[in-house]
Amino acid sequence: MSSVNATAISYTPTDIANQMMGNINTQQSLQASLEEQLSSGTQINSPSDNPAGAASVLRLSSSIARATQYQANATDGLGWLSLGDSTMNSIVSTLQSVQQSAESITGTALTGGSVALHAVAAQITGASQQLLSLANTTYNGQAIFAGTGNVTQAYDANGNYVGGGSAPTRTVGPGTQVPIAVTGTAVFGTGSTGLLGPGGALAQLVSDINTGTPASLEAATTTDLTAVNTALTQVETQAGTLGSSYQQMQAFSLQATATSTALQTQMSGTDGTNVAQVSTELTQAQQTYQSGLWAISQLQQDSLVQYLQ
Amino acid sequence: MGNMALTIASSGIDAQQAAMDTVAENLANANTPGYIQESPTLEAAGSFNELGAGAGVTTLGATQAVDGLLLVNNQQAVGALAQTSSLQQVLQTVQSAFPVSTSSGTASDLSAFWQSWDAVAQNPSSASDRTQVVDAAQNVATDLAASSTQIATSQANAQTQLGSLAATDNGLLSQVASLNTQIVVAQGSGSSPNALVDQQNQIMDQLAQDLGAVGTAQPNGTINVSVGGVKVVTGNTAATLSVAGTPGSLSLTTQTGTTVPATAGTAAGILAAVNQYLPAYQTQLDTVANNLATTVNTQLAAGYTATGATGQALFEGTGAANLTINTAVATNPQLLAASATATAATNNGANAQAMANLFDAASGPDQSYQSFIQNMGSQIAGVTSQVQTQTSVANAAQENLQAVSGVNSTNQEVLMLNYQQAYQASAQVISTVDTMIQSLLQAV
Repeated sequence: MSSVNATAISYTPTDIANQMMGNINTQQSLQASLEEQLSSGTQINSPSDNPAGAASVLRLSSSIARATQYQANATDGLGWLSLGDSTMNSIVSTLQSVQQSAESITGTALTGGSVALHAVAAQITGASQQLLSLANTTYNGQAIFAGTGNVTQAYDANGNYVGGGSAPTRTVGPGTQVPIAVTGTAVFGTGSTGLLGPGGALAQLVSDINTGTPASLEAATTTDLTAVNTALTQVETQAGTLGSSYQQMQAFSLQATATSTALQTQMSGTDGTNVAQVSTELTQAQQTYQSGLWAISQLQQDSLVQYLQ
Repeated sequence: MGNMALTIASSGIDAQQAAMDTVAENLANANTPGYIQESPTLEAAGSFNELGAGAGVTTLGATQAVDGLLLVNNQQAVGALAQTSSLQQVLQTVQSAFPVSTSSGTASDLSAFWQSWDAVAQNPSSASDRTQVVDAAQNVATDLAASSTQIATSQANAQTQLGSLAATDNGLLSQVASLNTQIVVAQGSGSSPNALVDQQNQIMDQLAQDLGAVGTAQPNGTINVSVGGVKVVTGNTAATLSVAGTPGSLSLTTQTGTTVPATAGTAAGILAAVNQYLPAYQTQLDTVANNLATTVNTQLAAGYTATGATGQALFEGTGAANLTINTAVATNPQLLAASATATAATNNGANAQAMANLFDAASGPDQSYQSFIQNMGSQIAGVTSQVQTQTSVANAAQENLQAVSGVNSTNQEVLMLNYQQAYQASAQVISTVDTMIQSLLQAV
């Protein structure tokens, strides 16, 4: 009863009935709103429930979706990087075997002659084929050393680089991009200074060993071996780059998870129903509603007419 | 002298009888809308004799407890409440098309659209990921069109409601005019126009609620009715209202083409919704659609396809209702410009990634949508709180009016006792005078 204290006014039964009905309706709509909050689990179901809250629910929701996407991007990037890392290890060990073979030819030439030399050359050719296949390693159908220029392969069968562009990146935070690979040219070099392909260091080494002259064997163990050593250093440097990218990616992945958790907490603070509070309010509303009904049942029971019988 | 007492007592019985009639009438109409409490008008009759006590009581009729100010206050309060309530009803219907949900609706589909670009960025050559982008874009366009349709439907429904309101009120206006005629006739023939006034009163309450109509009492007992200063009932002539114009410039006009500026009542609420609120929402929704098209198409134009061709637009058309997907891109999603460079573009997803990062672009579609939702929510919350305030005001006005014009049954019962006792006393006077005359006759 909003203004019962204004006793000067004469209240007609119609007035009192209207007031009571109005109060009952108010309690009912309050109950309905509280029940909606409890059943939906959210405080804000229509924009007008809390206009600023509604906008921040939408904003938080889109930020959470983005944080989740950053996590997904990081997971994808970590897949690329760990495959890149293990591929690099294989490349290093293959190159080390080439190194050993090349260093062994001085003794081989003296004891086994040209047959033994050809065997060493064949060994190195095999290693070269293995390197080519490692260079064409794919993740999820995408060649990891091809940059952005080629989907399926980084090198053709002859060892020529067919990729292009720079290494792909993944976005793992607002404005933060981490490279998820290195390009074939960065790992293996190109042309005569490179490792693979016609005219590359390995092809030169094989050709010098096969030639078998003292001068060519001299070149094989000095110039050519130095080139292989240089290439190995370059591969190891790139492996280090991938390793640091991996660590960076892992850190950002954790950060994205933390961000997502913080946003979820904020969201449930903004939109989540405080069950304890709403349940208490609902109980109060139900009690008020029942008192209202009781008051109506008492309405004008004491009429003057009763005393006039 | 004895004769005089009998005459006086007889007039007393008549007067109490008439007074009892008003009690009966009041109690019978205790719950009749528009009914105004009556009370008997009694007057001591003048004496014809210098020594006489008087000539009893004259019954002049039944007077209505009218308080013009309270009546007008109540009608204004009812009109103002009806205005905001009807506005609230229309806006609530529109609002139901924009639930605040994190799992469905335009905002969530926009998120899904931006995320579909991440998939393309990760695997630019994947045909299925590109198709996902087209599908997600189609979802957003469909959402926007559906929301726009919902607003347009609410607008059309409100317009229909206004039309039927005008039709109903035309009937009421002509009733007021006809009652005006009857009141003049009743007064001319000397009978009481009270019942006619009660009826007119009830109709005026309805007209105040519908149109914010204001009645002006005339000296001859009739009322003239005006809406926003335009007379719609003058004496026995009533205007015929109709709805003119299109949403945005909808109005009520009389048969002569005069605009009736409803500033209160249900009609004013509907007009505000149809002419101001809903067009504004439509415009804001269009802004979201246009921002989406501009943001996405601009980013695409900055990129290249896998073959190095410049990117094509994904969205076509302007406005929420007309946003469509470029058919060429829909049939061949390879035309989506995922690459940031023209060369080495085959497996380049950098532009797709840049697109995905636009999810929170300043004045991008997401932000426009959020501010639209906030703006609509604030307006509806404001209207809802106005409805609450005006309900209290209307209740108070109703209480004040009822206190004067309403029937308080307890009061009537007390009056009934009064009248009953006076009636019995007058009857006792007659009986006593009779006894007096009897005793005189016996003595003679």
